Amino acid sequence: MTTALQFGPVLVHLDRLLWGLTQTLQYAVLSILFGTIIGILGAVGRSYGPRWLSWLIAAYVELIRNTPLLIQLYIVFFSLPLIGFKFTPGTSAVIALSIHLGAYATEILRAGVESIPVGQIEAAKSLGLSPYRIIRHVVLFPAVRAVYPSLSAQFILQLMGTSIVGAIAAEELTAIANNLVMQTFRSFEVYIIVAVIYFVVVQAASLMLAGLGRLLFRWKQ
Amino acid sequence: MRALNGLKKLGVTLGALLLVAATSLLTPAAAQSVDEIIARGKLIVAIDTTTPPYGFLDKDLKPTGFDIEVANKMGEALGVPVEFVTVTSPGRIPALLTKQVDAVISIFSITPQRAIQIDYSIPYAGQSSVVIAPKGTAIKGPEDLVGKKVGVTRGTGEDGLLTKAAEKLTGIEILRFDDYSSLMQAVLSGQLDAVGGGDYGEIYLKKSASGDDFEQKFILKSFYFGIGVTKGNDNLRQWINTWLMTIKADGTLNDLSMKYRNQPLPALPVF
Repeated sequence: MTTALQFGPVLVHLDRLLWGLTQTLQYAVLSILFGTIIGILGAVGRSYGPRWLSWLIAAYVELIRNTPLLIQLYIVFFSLPLIGFKFTPGTSAVIALSIHLGAYATEILRAGVESIPVGQIEAAKSLGLSPYRIIRHVVLFPAVRAVYPSLSAQFILQLMGTSIVGAIAAEELTAIANNLVMQTFRSFEVYIIVAVIYFVVVQAASLMLAGLGRLLFRWKQ
Repeated sequence: MRALNGLKKLGVTLGALLLVAATSLLTPAAAQSVDEIIARGKLIVAIDTTTPPYGFLDKDLKPTGFDIEVANKMGEALGVPVEFVTVTSPGRIPALLTKQVDAVISIFSITPQRAIQIDYSIPYAGQSSVVIAPKGTAIKGPEDLVGKKVGVTRGTGEDGLLTKAAEKLTGIEILRFDDYSSLMQAVLSGQLDAVGGGDYGEIYLKKSASGDDFEQKFILKSFYFGIGVTKGNDNLRQWINTWLMTIKADGTLNDLSMKYRNQPLPALPVF
């Protein structure tokens, strides 16, 4: 093995990798946003909704958590068009990623919601708070605080999970890296650079989420 | 510049570590010479099972196809069984660089860029890259692809040719898939207006319910496939060239072409 590593031919394409990074971030941010909304609705519905709704949500969570994300991407992109729902690769990626995260977020938030003592809710009721305010201030906020570390970890996994959406032709950092490998034939150099980019971005995201947590829940300590 | 040099050094160190890790994990390392392959008692060949009719899985999920038969015949000629290592299209060069395999037989088009990192035998097969689209779509040349979604397998010859066409003609949207089955799924589910692929693509599409609706529109370029070996492994490469000459001369390769591609072996250049 004598082929020397050469970063020059790869670094000239750094702009393309950085464009890919913007796409990666876009998929991550959008799917985290939608996924969290699904998660909040799912967790509240699962814990406080009628029995049929609770079962429905449980079925959704189990279905998604027991199938690979790649298969979910394939179904949205390759199978839904056959029954009349055709989305571009980018939209398909956001849909599949959101549905995927939604299931995990539902389960994580449900744990938080169920950690709220019944007495706390009864106390809120006896104080005459409206159901909306009870859900928001007495249940959801402390619930999110309780599970915030798991939720952040799931968001970070989601950020890295976007790396497989190239399988349905959605362009992001990893897909662009694969294009570059095929163009420059410098696989080690490309993947090392891409690993460094992911490391920096994921590390930054972790710090940001930790900072956000301290900001939101500072009154706890 | 100093920062770049520093990055380079870091990269070299990291790369070296990765290589050591990779090579120590992969056993056995590829043999260097014909003698070593025979002494080891098996030939290790990288194949791709998602590239019909060259490499795919049969009804019993066993690898089969043009490339797989060539690999088996190579093993027969050497008198050793063949061990297959499945790689994806972007994984072919790394498989040789990390010495996971003795040879790559996987629709490995001969290009000068690839030949910088690995060595090729003389071609054993050839085919054309074409654009395939539904019969109802009027496509005569690259300019008719403007405003259309065209799918390719990432990093294939068609990818390069259509990317170049898209640079000249704005409005061609290229969607890149990781393997041929995804590409075919995308066109069959109506996600694509056209695909760039091999001239065998129609045979494959015809197996699906709506496959008869597709036809070949125009030829992008003709390619020749060689057997890839590690850079500088002339001992093995020379044996492969000699063996390929004999199976070309006795009609074996032509029979394989008829069997899998339904057309005779094209005239193959030698070097």
